[in-house]
Amino acid sequence: MPAPLLTLHAVEKTFAGVRALAPLDLTIGRGQLLGLVGENGAGKSTLIKLLSGVYQPSGGRIVWDGNQVAFTSPRDALDTGIATIHQELEYCGHLSVAENMLLREPWPRSRFGGVDWPALRETASNILRDFGLDLPVDVPFDSLTPAEKQEVAIAGALARDARLLILDEPTAALSEPEVERLFGHLQRTQAEGVTILYVTHRLDELFSLTDRVIVLRDGELVADHETQEVEVEQLIHDMVGRPVEQVYPKTRSGPKSDDPALAVQELSCDAMFTDISLVVKPGEIVGLAGLVGAGRSEVVRAIYGLYPITNGRMTLFGHDWHPQHPRDAIQRGVVYLPEERKRQGLVLEHGLDTNISVGFTDLLARYGLISRKAERSRVDEAIARYDVRAAHVSQPIGTLSGGNQQKALLARWLERAPDLILLDEPTRGVDVGAKAEIHALIDRLADQGRAVLFVSSDLPELVGMSDRVYVMNRGRIETELSNDELTEQNVILAASGLFEAAIS
Amino acid sequence: MTLPFLSHLSPALRNRLRFLLAGNLILLAFIYAHTLSNEKASFLDELSRFGPNVAPLILAALGLTGIVYTGAIDLSVGAIIVVAGTVFGILYEYEFAPAVCFAACYATALCLSMWNACLIRWLKIPAIIVTLAGLTFYRGLALALANVSLEKFSGQISIQGDAYHRPGNEWAGSILLFAIVIAIVWESFGKTPRLWLAHGSSQAACRLQGLDPARLLTGAFFVSGLFLGLAALTETTRGLTIEPNRLARGFELQVVAAVVMGGTNIFGGEGSYLGTILGGAFLYLVGQAMLYAGLSEYSRHAVHGALIIGVIGFDCLMHRKAKLLEELR
Repeated sequence: MPAPLLTLHAVEKTFAGVRALAPLDLTIGRGQLLGLVGENGAGKSTLIKLLSGVYQPSGGRIVWDGNQVAFTSPRDALDTGIATIHQELEYCGHLSVAENMLLREPWPRSRFGGVDWPALRETASNILRDFGLDLPVDVPFDSLTPAEKQEVAIAGALARDARLLILDEPTAALSEPEVERLFGHLQRTQAEGVTILYVTHRLDELFSLTDRVIVLRDGELVADHETQEVEVEQLIHDMVGRPVEQVYPKTRSGPKSDDPALAVQELSCDAMFTDISLVVKPGEIVGLAGLVGAGRSEVVRAIYGLYPITNGRMTLFGHDWHPQHPRDAIQRGVVYLPEERKRQGLVLEHGLDTNISVGFTDLLARYGLISRKAERSRVDEAIARYDVRAAHVSQPIGTLSGGNQQKALLARWLERAPDLILLDEPTRGVDVGAKAEIHALIDRLADQGRAVLFVSSDLPELVGMSDRVYVMNRGRIETELSNDELTEQNVILAASGLFEAAIS
Repeated sequence: MTLPFLSHLSPALRNRLRFLLAGNLILLAFIYAHTLSNEKASFLDELSRFGPNVAPLILAALGLTGIVYTGAIDLSVGAIIVVAGTVFGILYEYEFAPAVCFAACYATALCLSMWNACLIRWLKIPAIIVTLAGLTFYRGLALALANVSLEKFSGQISIQGDAYHRPGNEWAGSILLFAIVIAIVWESFGKTPRLWLAHGSSQAACRLQGLDPARLLTGAFFVSGLFLGLAALTETTRGLTIEPNRLARGFELQVVAAVVMGGTNIFGGEGSYLGTILGGAFLYLVGQAMLYAGLSEYSRHAVHGALIIGVIGFDCLMHRKAKLLEELR
């Protein structure tokens, strides 16, 4: 029996005396596709960073291919044959795809010693073609879609003869067909003998992809299962340490009024979307589905006043609605949770308290002055109401788990008691426990009569939470699904422009 | 077919280059028209003065461009020139041969640029802080050096003898041309400038790809020192006196302006050496055009500043939609 590819012997990590990862023993066999799950803050990222050389262990040994190794930098891990695709892809947006793929490799040289650009592009093209991708390599990396970026990063990692590929939440920004394509790549890669460590919050992915699943909780390895032998309920129990009753609660009684809270008619915005018509009623949760790039987020941002409208009409509670700026939206009781909470929603270095209170300080101000006492008391109430967990109220929000960051963002806006709530990927990168809490909160808001319009690439979430779903394709509404028609399969068909053909 | 140094540039940056090229040509035409109507002025003389006058600015700006590519900045370029010039003056007073004075001047600028890099690396302090401190520290250092080394230092060192003025007068044009060719060829066929841009675009990406960000930054300061040495040499040997208190005053702002005018993103990640060259030339030609237009010195300063904001603002406005769409894509 061949020796395992990687063995961890009592590997641990502490930060200034705080334990992030307890002494952990783990063996990863050659050619295995191993799933790694755990709640936010369970220690998954720490483990990945130890394996990829970003962090150095505080204790224990790492044995690679029979030899003890020590990674002092990502370069060491890469040289050893460990390639990592981190959850938030780090890339150089202005540089070309080819340059990003081969950044640390020697670039081909012409006979005069300069970079041979055509040869560089050809090398990159060949790597992508071998991976089954046909993409231009001389365009800026920024011009690729999130899915393409992910695929290019994986192709680039494998081209370095990686023997262990670590993927941290690779499908967080992908739509369903793109996820399927990625799985195809991974299964081919595994068949070629590459070992894969796959980290995800989407439990369904584990069952369709992995051979074995390990679970981390509070920095400890708490379970190690053969995938075929474990049930999803058991995994959730292992992750959160308690059973989670309902991930998609529907306790609300339905729309509170037939008059729409938001009515959008033939809305268009140059190069982004065309002829969008939709309705959201008070007390209703309406989903907006589609592939990445279909224009879902853009529609929501336009409703919030972030993009200029070139054509069409909107009404908010029966009154004309022409937001020129998000300020207009906030004043009219419309709030928006952005897709990328770290980049667009939070000031990561600032405390939880200031990140929450920034949403409603204007409500507390008298003659332009804010009472710190009143602000603090309101923040404390919000933290308790929305169950945001932190060591203290001024803890930098960047150090909180994804779920708590998202709850803090919700707390910021919900304290304004909005009438229309726009959510863009509200549970992206959030663990299953926090996800269930956010879903319950959204359900409660709808039950209180608020209108919710939300974008999600998580199909079970979209179908499980929505009363109705508008499916977008190439900047247009393809169809509206509700009741029995609202299934994951129909959403996929409509997002690909195949729904009408399928039902006819 | 696209020229190699243009093929890497974004559409917005290419537009900036076109814009600057057109602006430079218009300014040259304006100056030409004025020299025609002015008997005392000659367009050929004006062109021959272009090299010596603009060389220090463009050379220092070329050096700074690489640093700005990485997302850093060097605000002490003017003060470094002052120290280099003072060393030159002291050696001149001690009657060293011109070649020795030139070498010492060049080496001083290079060493101080490297010293900046070392401080940033060792102390892990942002470049803007280190070089902001250097801005006043180096100028003080130059005065202290002159005071200690020269018995009767009156605040200025008078440099006599044509041999000592050759780099700033006779050779400046050639030095500038040489540096421009090197910069453009290097940008077209070198990997290092692309790695600097990568550093400026995402330091984390560089680290995760196994590159050493500290080394890249040090490299940028080293290459900046190479250009800055030439800038110091041409600036110092241009005039008849070296006054540490007045030499290169406000120079760093002109250099930053040339780089930014050229389309290089002040936060790193995007830029062009060619843009810097065109930006530096534009700033100089604007100054000359205002002279011919008869503007007072006070107005010239104000117009210069307003023009920098105006040109960049206009360019941004023109391409706002394109940039927005680029971002959205």
